Amino acid sequence: MALILDNLSKRFGGVVASENVNITVPKGKITGLIGPNGAGKTTIVNMITGMLAVSGGTIRVDDTDITRAPADQICRAGLARTFQNIRILPENSVLDNILIGFHRHERCSTLSALLGLPASRRETAAMRARAEALLERFGMRHLAEYPAGGLSYGHQRRVEMMRALASEPDYILLDEPIAGMNDVESDALAVLFRDLADSGIGILLIEHNLRFVTRLCEHIYVLDGGRLIAEGAPEAVLSDPAVLTAYVGGEHA
Amino acid sequence: MMNLLLGYQPLLDLFLLHLGLAYAQWLVLRAGVFSLGTVGLAAVGAYTGGILVVTYGLPAPLALIASALSGGLVALALSVPLARLRGIYQAIATVAFIQIVLSLNIYATNVTGGAQGITGIPKTVGTPLLLLAGAATIYLMYAITHSRLGRAFDAIRQNEAVAASLGVSIVRHQTLAFVLSGALAGVYGALEAFHSYALVPSQFGFPYLIAILSYVVFGGRTSLWGPIVGTAVLILLPEVVRPLADARMLVFGILLILTINFLPKGIADTLIERARGRRLGARRPAEADTAKGS
Repeated sequence: MALILDNLSKRFGGVVASENVNITVPKGKITGLIGPNGAGKTTIVNMITGMLAVSGGTIRVDDTDITRAPADQICRAGLARTFQNIRILPENSVLDNILIGFHRHERCSTLSALLGLPASRRETAAMRARAEALLERFGMRHLAEYPAGGLSYGHQRRVEMMRALASEPDYILLDEPIAGMNDVESDALAVLFRDLADSGIGILLIEHNLRFVTRLCEHIYVLDGGRLIAEGAPEAVLSDPAVLTAYVGGEHA
Repeated sequence: MMNLLLGYQPLLDLFLLHLGLAYAQWLVLRAGVFSLGTVGLAAVGAYTGGILVVTYGLPAPLALIASALSGGLVALALSVPLARLRGIYQAIATVAFIQIVLSLNIYATNVTGGAQGITGIPKTVGTPLLLLAGAATIYLMYAITHSRLGRAFDAIRQNEAVAASLGVSIVRHQTLAFVLSGALAGVYGALEAFHSYALVPSQFGFPYLIAILSYVVFGGRTSLWGPIVGTAVLILLPEVVRPLADARMLVFGILLILTINFLPKGIADTLIERARGRRLGARRPAEADTAKGS
């Protein structure tokens, strides 16, 4: 059981943005995807999340083929994501931002939602309780009523993560989750990611920060020019000459 | 005292009729559909009701249900091309739809009575029924707001990519919002027909569209109070300041420009936001206003 990218390719006309990329994200582990700017990380993310059409290869979540599925079906297949540039719902309160994350698990009929029948009210109350529990876990209970648009950067990132977790995914794709955070904030998140992986969620971590990735991941993929140039345990990968060349420049190797 | 209140009864009726259409407009905007077609759908409902009662002699309650269905069905058909459009293009397409409905009302003389419209509609709707309809509409909007549908609408309006990434089907929810709005507009179109003896084709034209849109923009687009406040103020204003009544459209225009510039979220939404800000400010956690630092 894993999130599997099999020979994934993307071409924009003659430009190859990614070519025959094979990545496996097992459950319960943190898998890293790194690469210098322009390596094609974002292309991979966009293909997995249904924002970009795939040119070749397949993407599977466990037994479900999501290669050509629209974004909402990908979420329902059990894959959640956060965004590289924060995307919260600025007008809504922090609590409401998280409530929408439970959408995948809402079961009451459209009619009872329309008429405000007890089933709909019970469901809303139950989801609120779960959202509050999530806020408690992330230490943001006191901010529940605040408009999410006015929060600090670090808090907005955490709102995004809680929202993704609310959908109770089997896999979660974190697109540069600690960009712009200080060490204290990122250390706190590292602990959290570890907990998530230990609870059985498969994490694909796309990150610039090498130190953060090497500390957290058991397995790393390195992307450059749209191709995988190395993979394996962090220490082995980071001493790979091809990786050093890609990151630091040709002379180093 | 009683006479004074009775004097205002037509105004109350007008308020309630327009409030229903304002909510129909509010509902689509809330789901991120930039449709201006509400009055077109109201025209569909009004003519359906009028024709069924006058030409076919159907009882008014049955005709009302048919009006709701016709508004909803026309909206459903319209939602297919609209789902491929966004923002201003949806606005243009729906204004075109209103023009089509208007032309049909004028040129399909055999069915719609042409330029003469439909006359001799029995008046079956009075203030009590309108009050009932208003209460039911507000309850329905309240229920939607506090259900999974309202949450999905809010997410889609603010960021479609986020909504989709959380499993919200954008097409399904926007279609639902548009169909509900169409059915609501259909009902209120028919209520208007059953309230006023006659229908003329020009009734559901551009000025009406601007009025309905003004109520929502002026009052507020996201809170439940928005349409109530907007409709009440804009309907009362020309009556309170009598000389303004003749220049109703001019006043609407000026108020809209002022609102958009100084209260872009509308009166009710801005006041609610300020009240919330004050309430939260009183127990402000240390860092809540170090906002946006990175």
